[in-house]
This record gives sequence, structure tokens and C-alpha cells, in this order.
Amino acid sequence: MNSMQRSDGTRWTLVLLACLAVSLALVAYPLYVIRPFRAQGARELTVALMVSRFAPLLTAVSALAAVVAAIACWRTQASLLRRVFMAASAMLVCVLAVLARVNVFEAVMFHPVEHPAFAAAQDVKLDDNDKLIVVKIHGSARAYPIREMGYHHVVNDVVGGTALAATY
Amino acid sequence: MRDVDGRRLTFHLAGINNQNFLMRDQETGSYWQQISGAAISGPLKGRQLTLVLSDELTFRTWKAEEPEGTVLKEVPRYASEYEAKDWDVRMGRRPAVIQFPEHGMQSRDLILGIRTSDASRAFLYERVIQEKLVKSYVGAQPVLIVVGPDGQSVRAFRDQVPGENAVPDFYRLTANKPGVLMMDAATGSEWNFQGCAISGKAKGACLERTPMLKDYWFDWRNYNPKTTIWGNSTR
Repeated sequence: MNSMQRSDGTRWTLVLLACLAVSLALVAYPLYVIRPFRAQGARELTVALMVSRFAPLLTAVSALAAVVAAIACWRTQASLLRRVFMAASAMLVCVLAVLARVNVFEAVMFHPVEHPAFAAAQDVKLDDNDKLIVVKIHGSARAYPIREMGYHHVVNDVVGGTALAATY
Repeated sequence: MRDVDGRRLTFHLAGINNQNFLMRDQETGSYWQQISGAAISGPLKGRQLTLVLSDELTFRTWKAEEPEGTVLKEVPRYASEYEAKDWDVRMGRRPAVIQFPEHGMQSRDLILGIRTSDASRAFLYERVIQEKLVKSYVGAQPVLIVVGPDGQSVRAFRDQVPGENAVPDFYRLTANKPGVLMMDAATGSEWNFQGCAISGKAKGACLERTPMLKDYWFDWRNYNPKTTIWGNSTR
């Protein structure tokens, strides 16, 4: 391997490491800031939400750059160890690009009611003292049991022709 | 309501801000604060959802009022993981990440919060349940908070009979007359838990409903920094 190739290999390695660091930060920062039982400062929350919004795009660009860097490095006839390291790092950056598209609150911690279904008040088996969040719109009465809302927390619904989000 | 600028939004629980949830709409990716309905980040930042009047009632009380009503069904896949019926009391034992140790209040004290255009007031939930009928003011607005016949459901009204100038001066009836909860001294009318007069001079009139939120003290205080408190005098 001549010195130019060695220098190219180092450059591509640095590019890939930068991609890895950027993608890791884009995925980890919102997770760190927006986590339960932690106080969120106004400014850090604003930044974390902004990062969440743009992370899918930025991590995709980063993944593309990482793959290009890994291929370019491979062509420089780098050592097998470095090639394996580059390939693994590029894969990790790709995985981070996928993770940036996953909201852990939506996908892991809380499960949405994808297709809300309803039963007549006379037919449901609830205890008399079960609490409900209730609304009545244009004559239509709807109830959301707190046992269910304390788990799902958000239900997208249409009651009496009005679209609403019941949240608890 | 989830129609904003003619666009119907679908919300998901997508984060947390000092133990108040953040919702994300899948159409624009904007983040919305649960307690305020305000978009705080994303393309719709600054927009405001319109609050829909709601109640927290027991099944028995609601079913008696709305026999034709419908109830959200359980999602069978998750039903075994559902919370206990006293979810808010259980959560009350968890730590709070922000503290407002004012006026003897504890972070997880349950309150009933009422907000008007110029003021906000937190009514200590346990005291409201004890008193059963509370007459107070939130800023300049007279409010009447009434505990239902089940001793657990609570509603709030504007403490003024529509069309009447006299102060109604409601008092709770202790006799167990079905459907009757209180009487007002001004007209001698009997009123039910829905805030409607069912006998007397005011028969047919209904009190104007006042939105009320059951919340933990720390959360209410965080979003209503000038709130006053009712019901903590015995502490």
C-alpha cells in the first residue's frame, strides 16, 4: 500500500467516524432529554424536538455518506481489520437511520388504539364506580373508561360529527 | 377538536414534558402539549386546539344520564395490561420532577382546575368531595362545583341562573329525592346534577357549564403560575 492510499484510507475512516458520531447524537439526544421522570428545560426540549424532526433526513444522509466512505476505504486495500471495522460502522450508521424514524413513546412505551371500537352503554361490563371521561356532542354521548385511557392515553375519535382527540 | 385549518389531524402520544404528555400529529409531525392543546414545535407551532367540554363521571352516573351512549371497547391485545381503576391515585405515589411547595401543597395533590380568561384557581379535590357543593369565584366569574349523587363524579357551572339577576345561592339537599341534588334560595327551584332546574320558578333553565380539569398540583401550577387555591386552609 502506498502512502497516498494510506492517507485516503485514513480520510475515509474519519468521514465514517464523523457520520457515526453525528447519527448517534441525533438519535440519542432526544431520547436523553425527552424521557420520563426527568425534568425538561424549555430550551433543551425545543432543541430535542427540533432534532427529532430533522433526524430522519439527517441520519439518512449520514448513512449514505457512511456507506460511500466504507466502499471507498475498502478500495484503498486497507487491512482486513480496518475493512471489517468500516463495514460494521457503516451498518451501525444505517441502523441509526432506521432508529431515527422510530418514536419510542409511540412504538414501545405506549400502544395506540389504532381502530377504536365502541359498545352500547347497556352492553359493556364495567363496575358502577369505574370512572369515565365523557363527552356529548350534537346529541351523541361517548365514554372513555379511565382504565383504558390510563394505558393508551390518546384516542382519535369522531363524536356527533366532530373529530376529537380524547387524551388522559 | 382535531381539525386545524381545515385539516384533520391524527394524534399519537410521542413524548413527555415535565410529566405532561406531548402528542405528535402524524400529518405534519408537529408536537402538541397535552394540557394546553398548543403546538409547541413543528410546522403547526403556535396553533391551538379547541377544547371539547368533558366530564369525569362514574359509569353508574353516566349510564343513568346517557342510556343510549357508547363506550370505547377494550383492545383485547392489551386488555390484560390495563391500569387499575384508581390510576390517578396510584400515579400520585410516583415522584414529580418539578416542585411548587407553596401554601402547603404537595406536588401530587389532586386538584380540580378552572381557568377563565383572566384567572385560574385550583380546588383541592379531596375537599371538594367532602364539601359536595362549593361556591367560589375564579377571577370575576362565580363558579359552582357540585359532587354528583354517587359522591365521586364532579361538575362545574357558572353560578348564575340564566336570565336571573339575583344570586342563586344554591344549597345541597340532604333528602334523598331521586334526580334532585340542590335547591336555589332565589327561586326555590330544584336542580339536578346536569345543572338543570326540574321544578320551581326556574324549571327548564340550565346552568352554563364551566370546563374543569382534574390534575396534579405540580402540573396545574406549572401551566397556571398565577393560580389561586381553594381548600388548603386546613393544612
